[in-house]
Amino acid sequence: MNKIKAFSVRNFKEIIRDPLSYIFCLGFPLVMLVIMTLVNDSIPPEAGMTIFRIDNLAGGIAVFGLTFLMLFVCLTVTKDRSGAFLTRLYATPMRSGDFIAGYILPTALLALIQILITLIASFIVSLITGIKLDPVGMFLALLSLIPAVILMISFGLLFGTLFSEKAAPGLCSIVISLASFLGGVWFDAESTGGVLFDICKVLPFWHAVKAARMACAMDLNGLFPHLLITAAYAIVFITTAIVVFKQKMKADNQ
Amino acid sequence: MYAIQTKKLTKKYKSKTAVSELDLTVNEGELFALLGVNGAGKTTTIRMLACLSKPTSGECSVCGFDCLSQSDEVKKLIGISPQDTAVAENLTVLENLKLICGIYGYSPENTSEKITKMTKLFKLDEVLNSRAKTLSGGWKRKLSIAMALICEPKVLFLDEPTLGLDVLARRELWKVVESLKGKITMVLTTHYMEEAEQLSDRIAIMIDGSVAALGTLPELEQQSGETGLENVFVRIAEDFGKGASDE
Repeated sequence: MNKIKAFSVRNFKEIIRDPLSYIFCLGFPLVMLVIMTLVNDSIPPEAGMTIFRIDNLAGGIAVFGLTFLMLFVCLTVTKDRSGAFLTRLYATPMRSGDFIAGYILPTALLALIQILITLIASFIVSLITGIKLDPVGMFLALLSLIPAVILMISFGLLFGTLFSEKAAPGLCSIVISLASFLGGVWFDAESTGGVLFDICKVLPFWHAVKAARMACAMDLNGLFPHLLITAAYAIVFITTAIVVFKQKMKADNQ
Repeated sequence: MYAIQTKKLTKKYKSKTAVSELDLTVNEGELFALLGVNGAGKTTTIRMLACLSKPTSGECSVCGFDCLSQSDEVKKLIGISPQDTAVAENLTVLENLKLICGIYGYSPENTSEKITKMTKLFKLDEVLNSRAKTLSGGWKRKLSIAMALICEPKVLFLDEPTLGLDVLARRELWKVVESLKGKITMVLTTHYMEEAEQLSDRIAIMIDGSVAALGTLPELEQQSGETGLENVFVRIAEDFGKGASDE
């Protein structure tokens, strides 16, 4: 446990001391929250478009923010791998499980803090706009986003392990764009329908956003199918990331 | 018991043999230098001894523990300062030292005691609260070695510790290394002849993955008929090259 704690503290500090992490993980999603609320105000009610209404926006922005955390997990892993820092740690009594837990735990904590801030900001927006957001629903949304947190951390760990310092961030940018677009954060995927909606349903991002939205609306029956699909993806990807990291560590020591 | 022993230690990467049937022994408390040009196999040898790379064949042990089958035991006994400065850039000097203490599971009292010791040894007071990324190359090297030493290893591997440092920073590091002589076993790889000459008890000259010559400086001078380590090194490298082409 000491090894995991020491390495987790290091990784936590490594991310929070990077000013870019505040800009991308907090600043950008919060700015988008405000902008999209203003866009929502400009949409006439007769258009019947509620995608940017705060009760829908909160969950979407929370998932959008998590995609940037994926980027920072990825950057931390690739930076450690490209330098000699991991070499030093490989020569200590640390085992692969200590490394994996040391990367996952602090970023999961950061993710929860990030979601909490996003939801608090959404609550403030809801008070200003007069659209009711239930605090219990928001707490449920926080819980419903746990599989999405695990999913995004696994993507970060996986890309950071498999790709170089130059290639990995580019790949993360693709996932960020895909997740926000195919997650239905910026458009109503269900109303759009067709092949696009079929693709959204196959991928985990839309389900993650939908679960958070259902939780916000306290719709438990609607929540669980999406939560289960996101959780299944999270389990598959975290397992893959762990296996790949262990294999890569073994290969590095060949 | 030797601090380090290798028997026919070999490392191959596909068709390239990085280390070939290396037979070495290093005594406890000895400062042993591995000298050689780039690609001679020095770092690969250190990586195998530090359990960072598996030998293709042969054996190597540290303090009697086999590096392959008893790597957990070996890792408890060694410290390594890799070729590149291996520090956490966004942590302060103090936090970097605490990180290593945490990994080795030291108590807060023990951690504090060890940090004080390292701070004194490397004169780290003035940079203790500076982030590693803001440090000069010399300070980073000092921190890197302090991180390797803080766990009080029995064997310390220093892989080109003064590479890229200015003459003053290098001399300062030499003083620290000299102060450790006799207390722990050290394996030093370097390109700098004067460094090996100044610091080492024994020197192994590695060429193409093999030890071309081994001994104290006077012994190497006697073997080669040259004076000064640079001349000895050039003569041995030339003779080795000639021998290889004759074959």
